[in-house]
Amino acid sequence: MNENGKKRREWVKTAAIIFLSVMLVLTFFSNTIMNYSLPEVATQYVESGTITAKIRGSGVVESGNPYNVEVSESRKVSQVAVKVGDQVEKDAVLMYLEDAESTELKEAKTQLDSLKAEYDRAIVAADTSANIVNRVENGNVTSTESKVAQIDAYNSRIDALQNNIDAYNNRIAEIDAALGKLGDGSTDTSAEQQAVNYAQGELTKATSWIETANQKLEAAKGVLEAVNSAVQGAQDNVAACQKAYEDANAKHVALITRQNSLNKKVEDGGTLTEAEQNELTLLEGSISAAAQEVTAAQEALGNAQVALENANASVETDRADAQKKINEAQAEYDNALTAKTTWEGKLADAQRNLANKQAGVSGGGEREALNNEKADLTLSLNKATTEKTDVEKELTDLLAGFTKEVDLSALLTKIADQEKLVKELTDKSVGATITAPVAGTVTTLNVVAGESTAPGTPVAVLQPAGKGFSLSFSVTNEQAKRLSVGDVADLVNAWRYDDLKVTLANIKPDTSEPGQKKLLTFDVDGDVTAGQTLNVSVGQKSANYDLIVPNSAIREDNNGKFILIVESKPGPLNTRYIATRVDVEVLASDDTQSAISAALYGYEFVITTSTKPVEAGKQVRLAEN
Amino acid sequence: MKKIVLGITGGISFLVFLVLLLVSNHLANSQMTQTAAERWSRDGNVSQVSCFFSVGSGITEDEIIEFEHTVDGVLTEASVVSESENPGARLWADAYSADGQVTLSNDKTSLTASAIGIGGDFFLFHPLTLLNGAYFSGNDLMKDYCVIDEDAAWQLFGSNDVAGMTVFIGGVPHIVTGVVHRPDGHLAEAAGLDSTVVYVSYQTLTELGESHGINHYEIVMPNPVTGFACNYVREKLGAEEKEVEVVENTTRYSTLSRLRLITEFGTRSMNGKAIIYPYWENMARGVADILMVLTLFGILFLLYPVGLAVVFFCIWWRHKGWTMKDVWHKLQDFGERRMEKLREKRRAEKAHKAMEAEDAESEKIQEEIPAEQEQSMEESRPVSIEEEFQAGDAPEEIRRKKRRFGQRRRKD
Repeated sequence: MNENGKKRREWVKTAAIIFLSVMLVLTFFSNTIMNYSLPEVATQYVESGTITAKIRGSGVVESGNPYNVEVSESRKVSQVAVKVGDQVEKDAVLMYLEDAESTELKEAKTQLDSLKAEYDRAIVAADTSANIVNRVENGNVTSTESKVAQIDAYNSRIDALQNNIDAYNNRIAEIDAALGKLGDGSTDTSAEQQAVNYAQGELTKATSWIETANQKLEAAKGVLEAVNSAVQGAQDNVAACQKAYEDANAKHVALITRQNSLNKKVEDGGTLTEAEQNELTLLEGSISAAAQEVTAAQEALGNAQVALENANASVETDRADAQKKINEAQAEYDNALTAKTTWEGKLADAQRNLANKQAGVSGGGEREALNNEKADLTLSLNKATTEKTDVEKELTDLLAGFTKEVDLSALLTKIADQEKLVKELTDKSVGATITAPVAGTVTTLNVVAGESTAPGTPVAVLQPAGKGFSLSFSVTNEQAKRLSVGDVADLVNAWRYDDLKVTLANIKPDTSEPGQKKLLTFDVDGDVTAGQTLNVSVGQKSANYDLIVPNSAIREDNNGKFILIVESKPGPLNTRYIATRVDVEVLASDDTQSAISAALYGYEFVITTSTKPVEAGKQVRLAEN
Repeated sequence: MKKIVLGITGGISFLVFLVLLLVSNHLANSQMTQTAAERWSRDGNVSQVSCFFSVGSGITEDEIIEFEHTVDGVLTEASVVSESENPGARLWADAYSADGQVTLSNDKTSLTASAIGIGGDFFLFHPLTLLNGAYFSGNDLMKDYCVIDEDAAWQLFGSNDVAGMTVFIGGVPHIVTGVVHRPDGHLAEAAGLDSTVVYVSYQTLTELGESHGINHYEIVMPNPVTGFACNYVREKLGAEEKEVEVVENTTRYSTLSRLRLITEFGTRSMNGKAIIYPYWENMARGVADILMVLTLFGILFLLYPVGLAVVFFCIWWRHKGWTMKDVWHKLQDFGERRMEKLREKRRAEKAHKAMEAEDAESEKIQEEIPAEQEQSMEESRPVSIEEEFQAGDAPEEIRRKKRRFGQRRRKD
């Protein structure tokens, strides 16, 4: 029992010693052990510097000034000698054509025939002289200089004749002037002439005055006439009424007489026939009607007499007025007549004066000589004029001849050209080729062997050496916002190219995705070829920032973006490093770095990568380097 | 002896359970692609949800953008607003990606690798170990970035330190922003990480590579009530049930999920959807299977000691040398003794005061003391309880066993 207890105590002692020593070791190495369990972090200083956001893109260089190789014939291609991208020299063969008479050759031949026909027609139609035809056909066409010289000669002849004519005309005019001077004498009759003219004018005036006065007189007389005729009308009426009254009265009396005679017959005891009885009965009525008629006629007569009296009374004043006016007009007319007579006398005097003056002129023998010279000159003038007309006609003929000559020779030239074309085409129809018109690079081939060329459609497109190029690619709207026209782009692998300048030429919506993308087009100057792909980067100017951290340092959670910085805390044995969270706002980023705004001094260590996830506030271990 | 063996095995079994628990929790937490929610918010209440689309679903970038535009609205409706002081803080972040293939080349060599075309904050969900440089984001201004793995870096450049270098993808220069370590191990290789993987922008993959279309979408967003985020995403993006698989990453490794997975044993391997899982989902599913097994074993290892403890308890209960009545009596006794002590104390004080008082009083006190002393003497004796038991009908044999058992227990 005692043994047992002793053994147990030994064991306990050993265990305690082991336990304590392990604890001691762990205590000493606790830091080291803990350190290895901590996440190891790589850090970097927060820096200041520049951020440049660049937009990169790739595009294919396209030709700015392509050269289209076209052929005028539609021919079958037998072989294409070049490939796209080949550099060709000027006149290098691009394609071989199959032997065939092209449609163009046929057309050219037809046209040649029609031209020849036209030539013949021109000769016949214009009645061209054989001389001209020969000359043209032999090629002895009058040279332009010779034509001009001939025309000039004619023109100078015409000019000379014209000068002569002008000289003759001048001399005749002089002679006429001299004759005029001689004929006129030296007396001045202008005053007399003036007097005559004045008298004449006054006479004319007076004559016209008589006319007006006469008219006025006539008018006044007309008025008096009218007044008189009114009175006359009234008198006529009275007379008529008087006559009617007398007639009615006579009728009445006759009827009464008849009645009386009938009545008397009855009184005398005679018997009346039935007709007489009837008549007597009727007479009774007729007599009373006739009595009425008489009364009416008497009344009418009375009225007419009253009217006549009225007319006479009113007419009295009118007639006086009219008479007065007639008198005035008569006086005026008389005055006018007197004036006329006076001026007629004056005119006769003036004319006589003038005639007297003109009568005193002198004549001479000089006039005879002048008249003779004038006759000679007129003769010469006529001759010169005729000659000039002839020369002018000759010139017109010459010009017409020239025109015909030119027309014919032009037609002949056309025929010659067409013949040449036909010959060329005929030549071409065997072993023809298409050659490069300029030196450059083949960018497109539109036909392959076996296909036919089409006139007006390019068979190949060449990029002439040393001409401008363009480049385009599309970017997002966001990216396009950062660019502006005129920005110079850098080439991503610039060492491959010498002196290549790429400039942003325009920004427009991309038609394939109009709402979302923009198409950037660049001008490319330098030694490139079409079809080559260029990678460019273009962007704003770089901006300076105080706080710049690597992109890998930026972290994010639902509290926003943050970075973890390392804070050191000195301990008794060693320094401990604590990861501390700092909230940041990212101002700008480029491919590797971001500019931030945060509550930092600018010399902190920021954690970029770690071996394990790092939490804010936890201890970390710095990487060895 | 048998009891000792049983006890030891029970203890070991419990230890094994603890180890399994630790291992499985560690395994679950080490899945970085499943724990974006924890990284996004320290306070919890956010959830990470992943969608996997079938090849024929034909989901487009525009549909994703349309979905993104609705998220803010639904969060405002659920009165979730950002409380951060940082003006740039976002409530949610998302990423989409497409599988495909690209050919990278530089002046020296070229390499065809499987590629993931990313949009949005892909690397927020997939914090791969960076060996050099930084990640890039689908929201960056330029889309010509790429992250390559160390294999690709070695083949193209012969170095890992290549951040900022240029590689050509389809003839267009791309900038390598970072080099990452490709997860290795049996699980990773089986999941699809057996060859080089490069990460490029979705635009690069579609325009310059060979894309299979967008087939993964991930979002980390506030989750005000359980299942809110997951249901919302399922409703908006997962309408075509055959075409889409929606997974809530945040809770996929919880104990409840693991237990549910056990119940799905057998049916889990069945697949009626034409979905090709990306490597990270394959790995996550692999880990889920492992966790399921670990959990199963953990339960078994826990069951054994628990069962053992229950049995022991029952046995001990059955053979206990006392009844509830005893406990009651003892407690009564204990209470009385406390009372007596208090009374005595008071009396002692009184006595002290009465030291100068008359003898008549002191005599009276001395009469009571022997009676009390007698009683306390009886209590202090260990056999006193047994003696009391003797008053009961229990036979002598049982009483002895009980006593022995009680003594052993006291020793232990």
